Amino acid sequence: MSLLTVNDIHTFIEQFHILEGVTLEVPQGDILALLGRNGAGKTTTLKTILGLTPARSGSVVYNGADITAKRSFDIAALGIGYVPEHRAIFADLSVEENLRIAERNSGDFAAKEEFIFGLFPDLKRLIRLPGTNLSGGQQQMLAVARALVPDNKLLLIDEPSEGLAPVIIEQMMDAITELSNESTVLLVEQNFIVASRLAQHYVIVEEGQTVQAGSMADLVDDQETIKRYLGAG
Amino acid sequence: MTTTQSKRSTVLADWMKENRSRLAVLAVILFVLLAAMAGLEAKEWFPTIMQGLSVGALTFLVASGLSLIFGLMDVLNLAHGELFMIGAYVGWTMYTRFDTAVDAAVPILLIAAPFALMPLWRRVADRLRRMDVNWHLAIWLVALVMAYVAWLVRFGTGGEEGTGAGAGPMVVVTGMFAAIGWALLRRSRRHDGGPAGDAAMMKATALSTLIVGAGASLVAVTKFPLVIWDAEDFARSPSNFSVQVDLGQLAPLPNDVFAWPAILAFAVLLLGGALIALGLSSLQPRGGETGELARRHWAGFGGMVVAAIVLALVKTPLNEWMFELSTTWRFLIAILVATGVGAALGAFIEVILIRPLYDRPIYQLMITLGVGFILIEMVREIWGRPEFTMARPAAFNGVGEGCPGQGLGGFFSGCSTVEVFGGRLRVYNEGFVVLVGVLVLVGVTLLLKRTRVGMVIRAGVQDPEMVEALGINVRRVFTLVFAIGSGLAALGGVLAAPSIGLSSGMGAVFLLGAIVALAVGGLTSFPGAAAGAVLVGLLQQIIIRLGQTGISLPFLDEPFKPSPTVVPAASILLMVVILLVLPTGLFGRSER
Repeated sequence: MSLLTVNDIHTFIEQFHILEGVTLEVPQGDILALLGRNGAGKTTTLKTILGLTPARSGSVVYNGADITAKRSFDIAALGIGYVPEHRAIFADLSVEENLRIAERNSGDFAAKEEFIFGLFPDLKRLIRLPGTNLSGGQQQMLAVARALVPDNKLLLIDEPSEGLAPVIIEQMMDAITELSNESTVLLVEQNFIVASRLAQHYVIVEEGQTVQAGSMADLVDDQETIKRYLGAG
Repeated sequence: MTTTQSKRSTVLADWMKENRSRLAVLAVILFVLLAAMAGLEAKEWFPTIMQGLSVGALTFLVASGLSLIFGLMDVLNLAHGELFMIGAYVGWTMYTRFDTAVDAAVPILLIAAPFALMPLWRRVADRLRRMDVNWHLAIWLVALVMAYVAWLVRFGTGGEEGTGAGAGPMVVVTGMFAAIGWALLRRSRRHDGGPAGDAAMMKATALSTLIVGAGASLVAVTKFPLVIWDAEDFARSPSNFSVQVDLGQLAPLPNDVFAWPAILAFAVLLLGGALIALGLSSLQPRGGETGELARRHWAGFGGMVVAAIVLALVKTPLNEWMFELSTTWRFLIAILVATGVGAALGAFIEVILIRPLYDRPIYQLMITLGVGFILIEMVREIWGRPEFTMARPAAFNGVGEGCPGQGLGGFFSGCSTVEVFGGRLRVYNEGFVVLVGVLVLVGVTLLLKRTRVGMVIRAGVQDPEMVEALGINVRRVFTLVFAIGSGLAALGGVLAAPSIGLSSGMGAVFLLGAIVALAVGGLTSFPGAAAGAVLVGLLQQIIIRLGQTGISLPFLDEPFKPSPTVVPAASILLMVVILLVLPTGLFGRSER
């Protein structure tokens, strides 16, 4: 059963036709990796799901309901968390405020505090600092933690390993594995090794179109596809 | 202990290093201020400083809203000065001619009430969009007939009152209808029935609806018993009323009666409001949020209609009660009402005019400029062109025995002036206005730092898209901030009225000061707006002061006396100098 179904979406940014038919299905409880080269349309796909760059045609069905034409805040409130590329930490807010702002009901943060600090013990120590004073890895942790504050059934995570040191990447992978016990994840990842270790399924997009999809276990053995669509894996 | 101390001192050193140029600029400003004050006694410089703070406080009230709105939405609201002006005029009316305010509130509430049902009008507009072109032609015809009926009701058939009356508006309206009709006919011929959802067709219908709605509202308003002044006739002019209030002898003007049965007037106004709302929502492009028609919308609509009816019923006792209140209480009520009206007007402007244009910033700039001019003309039309004053409330107007008050306690003595350090201060200008400025600074800072809304605003200044992706309706926050900012400007206006008087140009003066303050303080920084406003105020007052005492310059026999006309120039010069040294202003952050 799939939690999210994206069916042949076409998205324009200004006059540019960015997505020319992306189709994917995210099975409930699993991690699906959205793969492709730079500029293939991975980030735009996430933004279209969230309604930030609405689709001109096609449909996005989440949990049985068509959300294609809904506004972003309505979509997010249905239980979709977003961890954007470049993290988008609010610089003027402290670490704690960065987490609290994601609350949909007061008390969300208190309820999830233990779980979040269990995943990212570092954040607990930094709680009073302004968002700008964090290192790249800490910001990434905060961005993921922020998406965990409300009860999100689906997480859209964009490039969690980008620009991080290998040790931090390991930590981040452990965290994503653990949080995937609670939520379904749609992961965009350039680093194929990271993606292949985390995800059970994959979808490859190329020039705004879905070109291949299937089980990650099969893809790992298919060196030809990896080379063709993802560069040297 | 020592480690924390040394740690602290390195933090301080780092901070100083980071803010070197900022500190240097502040030091230079301080030095210039001190130099300007050198040779003056405390009784001379203290009042100057306080006057500077007073002007600074008023400038800050304009600048704070401007800064919040610019920071969050990237909209430079050029109508902000006019919201300041509206605050002054609305406050004056509440304070001096309460009866007029009540009379005016009834039709305004009735016209505004249908706007509470916006989702309904959007749905109707969507239905219209799907209709055949022949339906649109039928609507056009009905609208045309209604416009003529409205014209006949308003101006009659000519006859005794002279045939020329009202011909001008009718020519314009007929012309507009002809243009709309022509566009529709062309459309229907080309498409033979035409496809549903045609944009031009929709625009034509929206315009006819708007014209008829506005016409019906205008006609019905003239049938209301509206007690109003006459700027041409001194006995009934705003300036005379202000004098009467000052002398404590103002009685309500005699009330006229409804020219129509009240029910009819009410119904036509509601219809007019509904047509305007429908016209405006039909003009907006498709795909805007439709929203559900919830109970709260009906509650808003019902609340306004009921408020209008109740006001109309109880206005005589209400007026009598108000005119017996002390001017201090009336002033407080005027402050609240003016702030509220400013906020409501701001919210209206944001939702109707700014919101459809978020992806076209230049149009937003132009529309705020246009709104400013419209508001100025409106004020001239209603309150008349000549400037007039507003009497100071009793609490700040005491004279005679025991006055002026002495020292800080003198501020509470009820005197109009107080002597501090040997200098004379006006309790209202240099006491109350500065106090309100400080309270607003503290209040808004607390709102920003301590509340969830404030947190959302601070986050939204940086990245509205991400805030939206967290499930927060950013548009609603935009409207709220626009309302807060406009309310603060209106508050500034009503506070300014008793000290500087009312004129339709007052907004432009403070808008200029506020823009300079913003640039000096750093465009989107709220504390920066406060600091910039205080600097602008101080600079202005010091220059005015120096114009009286003169500055001795080397190589000049006589002291140089700057004329007051250089005051605005000096503000601009301050801005230029500071921006040359600190391109992002005193508290601004460089763009990411």
